Amino acid sequence: MNIEKNKLLMMFFLASESMFFIVLILTYAYYRSTAAVGFESTGGPTALTSLNPIRTGIFTLILILSSFTVWLGVKSLKSKRHSMLCFWLFITIVLGALFLYGQGTEWWGMIKQDITISRDLFGTTFYTLTGFHGFHVTVGLIMLLILFGLALAGDFRGPKSAGIESISLYWHFVDVVWIVVYSVIYLWAVL
Amino acid sequence: MSRIPWVPETTEPLPRVGESEGLLTWAASVDHKQIGIMYFIAALSFFCIGGLEALLMRIQLSRPDNNFIDPELFNQLFTMHGTTMVFLVIMPFLIGLGVYLIPLMIGARDMAFPRLNALSFWVVVFGGLLLYYPFITQSGATDVGWFAYTPLSEKPYSLNNGPTYWALALLCTGIGSVASGINNIITIITLRAPGMTMRRIPLFVWLLLVTSFLLAFAIPILNAGLVTLLLDRILEANFFAPSSGGSAILWQNVFWGFGHPEVYILVLPAFAIICEVIPVFSRQPIFGYGFMVGSAIAIGLLAFGVWGHHMFAVGLGVPFNTYFSLASMLIAVPTGVKIFTWIATMWGGKIYFATAMMFATAFVIEFVIGGLSGVAFAAAPLTWQLTDSYFVVAHIHYVLFGGSMFAIFAGIYYWFPKWTGRMLSERIGKCHFWLMLIGFNLTFLFQHMVGLLGMPRRVYTYPDLPSWNWLNLLSTIGACVLGFSVLIFIFNIFFSLRKGKIAGNNPWNAWTLEWLAASPPPVHNFDEVPRIHSARPLWDLAHPDMPDEPESFNTGVTR
Amino acid sequence: MTAFDILTTTWNFDGWVIVLCAILIISYVHTVRGHFSKSSLFFIAGVALLFLTLVSPISMLGKSYLLSANMVQHITLLLIVPLLLLHGIPASTIENALKHEAFRKFASIIGHPAIAWFFGVGAMWIWHLPSLHGAVLRNENLYIFQQISFIIFGTIFWWPVFSPIDRYRLQPLISTLYLSAACLGCTILGIVITFASVGLYASYVNPIDSLGILSYIRNDLCLTPSVDQQIGGLMMWVPGCLIYLFASMLTIIRWFKSPEEDLISVTQSGGEEFVSASITSDK
Repeated sequence: MNIEKNKLLMMFFLASESMFFIVLILTYAYYRSTAAVGFESTGGPTALTSLNPIRTGIFTLILILSSFTVWLGVKSLKSKRHSMLCFWLFITIVLGALFLYGQGTEWWGMIKQDITISRDLFGTTFYTLTGFHGFHVTVGLIMLLILFGLALAGDFRGPKSAGIESISLYWHFVDVVWIVVYSVIYLWAVL
Repeated sequence: MSRIPWVPETTEPLPRVGESEGLLTWAASVDHKQIGIMYFIAALSFFCIGGLEALLMRIQLSRPDNNFIDPELFNQLFTMHGTTMVFLVIMPFLIGLGVYLIPLMIGARDMAFPRLNALSFWVVVFGGLLLYYPFITQSGATDVGWFAYTPLSEKPYSLNNGPTYWALALLCTGIGSVASGINNIITIITLRAPGMTMRRIPLFVWLLLVTSFLLAFAIPILNAGLVTLLLDRILEANFFAPSSGGSAILWQNVFWGFGHPEVYILVLPAFAIICEVIPVFSRQPIFGYGFMVGSAIAIGLLAFGVWGHHMFAVGLGVPFNTYFSLASMLIAVPTGVKIFTWIATMWGGKIYFATAMMFATAFVIEFVIGGLSGVAFAAAPLTWQLTDSYFVVAHIHYVLFGGSMFAIFAGIYYWFPKWTGRMLSERIGKCHFWLMLIGFNLTFLFQHMVGLLGMPRRVYTYPDLPSWNWLNLLSTIGACVLGFSVLIFIFNIFFSLRKGKIAGNNPWNAWTLEWLAASPPPVHNFDEVPRIHSARPLWDLAHPDMPDEPESFNTGVTR
Repeated sequence: MTAFDILTTTWNFDGWVIVLCAILIISYVHTVRGHFSKSSLFFIAGVALLFLTLVSPISMLGKSYLLSANMVQHITLLLIVPLLLLHGIPASTIENALKHEAFRKFASIIGHPAIAWFFGVGAMWIWHLPSLHGAVLRNENLYIFQQISFIIFGTIFWWPVFSPIDRYRLQPLISTLYLSAACLGCTILGIVITFASVGLYASYVNPIDSLGILSYIRNDLCLTPSVDQQIGGLMMWVPGCLIYLFASMLTIIRWFKSPEEDLISVTQSGGEEFVSASITSDK
């Protein structure tokens, strides 16, 4: 295998992280649909009644777009276009922040309706799953900000950088996890 | 033989480990050997603490209706004993061995990520301190068992902070373990010496590789469980609270989804040690390298698919129990392959019973006993009969003490010369071995019987029933002998550090690459690494006229 | 009605199954031109297993009564039959086919491990979505399409691991990772089905009792809908994964049988007579 060791580290870390998310997603699915406990049948707030799949769908598209822009960033790193790299990193950060803004306002709206983590199983599983994803986005944003700062300071002249490449991997992972989370929470509710 | 110099000529001698004294050189170290030794020291300290807890429990149980310890403290003791021994003793011992030996065995200068390595260690230590912190404060340590079944571990049932600290502590050790697992994997993939293909790395490294995959993929399951438990306890979420619809069984699924791979995390590195010790002291190459590798991978994969056998008594239905019975019995097959491979390696060899080999031989026997009661447990009806009795306590100790700990002692006697440059005293070592063997079997063999007689585990005392009395007394006497043997072992370490025989590079006449380095190895490990042609590079170096023939070596066929 | 009656009366020799198996056999005989070898046995065994699965009571029970029987059928068609078929195709046949530019391109895209993995695991997941599964049981044409797609996707899935041509195979350790990842996908699906509420697949809760064996299944065999669904999920979870495990053991055996890179130079310098000595003792 001819993969740089830092990228390999990121790959194994993400594989390990995916186990963590699989457990959380399975927990959500279990509580959603199991007869004995399923919150779909208790009459409390559910994904269908309290979430807006279209609004969140737009923010989902924004996150997917940010995955695309970070890919463009890596491409410009490879072709040694430093200013383009800075530009794409900046756009990625803006898009990622937009996504977090969307999630924050969604949470705020729900909390105002008294749907909290301690209210019932829907709240518990919803906030846990989206919260841990949001935490990963935040960590990713911090890492991207560091990269952006270093890039502005003149680092990453290309054509290779383990830092940029592995953090873009991380960012893609966060994106893929969100697609799964969105499908399980939002799409499953309306389908 | 082509030699590839790895370091340029230097005029000044490079510093050796331990040459520059002072605590800071240790605390700030990123050298895999120093970190390995620190793992060893931390694990040994926790071993003493955990052992002391066990002794206190045994004293309480030495006679019926005893009042030596009150029930609350007893609950804390067995919980802390279990957690300590699993997460802060056996895992650090084994991970530490891996950290120390993997780079040496594959001819590398250090781990792939030395600083991550140091982080892993310190996070584990921090986890240990977190676990013990509530013990010394008023609230008292966690008292809900090492598996922390919900809803008992939920806030309404455990108002003290013990379980919260327990979860935080395990989260810390979990993060450390995942990091060291990934570090091991990448080290083994990327830093092997020239010519050392995957079929020539020592079996120790192979089995550690499989263990590292288990660490990287099983521990996150526990981490997810722990964060949900913490959310329940701190933010009043409802995951495991039946009163608001949560499922207590879910916790069991998540915990054992991690817990069964964990069993193999604790046992595979023990196998790894035995795979190195037995061939060297039998003066024969391992019989069936390929079988060892294949069975290790099979165990690693199967480990994820058998957790249901911890939940036979829950009542998940006949199909569930049947399938997991079958899968659990299957895992005995690759384990059996390993046992027979070791026996075949010893067969016809010139066996030299150094203390390390005595521990390794005892390991095989004790592990077979533990393994056989384990296979028996794979039958759901037997589990219904025996679960939560002392029979289970005996089983787990035969696997984890007679198995993992005996292997760890074998490893310590075997590699101590490499770590320190001095041999552990064989005379004291044999004394330690026999006392430990007798003490161990005295303690736990009779627990099988007392369990069959119906004594439940995790009770702080018991009524004066026929035979329970003397069986428990024997167990307690055994535990005291065991404790005494550990004291002898610690004395042996301090004694041998000062007065032990100087070891030289290769005191056991072994064949793997770590014995090529000086004892203790210099910071850079090797001045030069020979090109590797087989799984026994030192044999090839010593006998250039008749090197190992890799193919027959790999398949174990002697022509 | 007894088990014996069910086993003897519920065979269902559909025309399309016979045609499918005949096409497979005839095209095989045509491509090898009568030169049968040991691997031909695997191909024939694969076709035989395919035939048996689709005409035997398993298919009948799976279609109308039992999810668990349906799962057995799916696992056989997706995991076992394609493996046998693929193993039975001679390398020379594939080499000939690869001379065509189009097929080579097709093989290099479809045979890419990531894509092949998604085909294999995706087939398993998508066909078990409750709504799609219900549609399959109602529509005979969709049912036929499902069975054939299992075999095709299964073949694509096994291609990177057991391709008859070495250069298309993954390294043995990588293929172990490939298979364990598939096992994980299979496990998750199994867990979901096992622990989901009863009636995930609605048609099995109150099946139309066209053969009059429902009371026997429910009362004598004790296969209630919940037990049946558990067995179905566990089928996917445990035996499904064991097949992947078995396959990865096969790749490891193959790996240890193949010679190592610089083996030849070592034996030349060593010489035969020393080899036996070096194995048995070292004094």
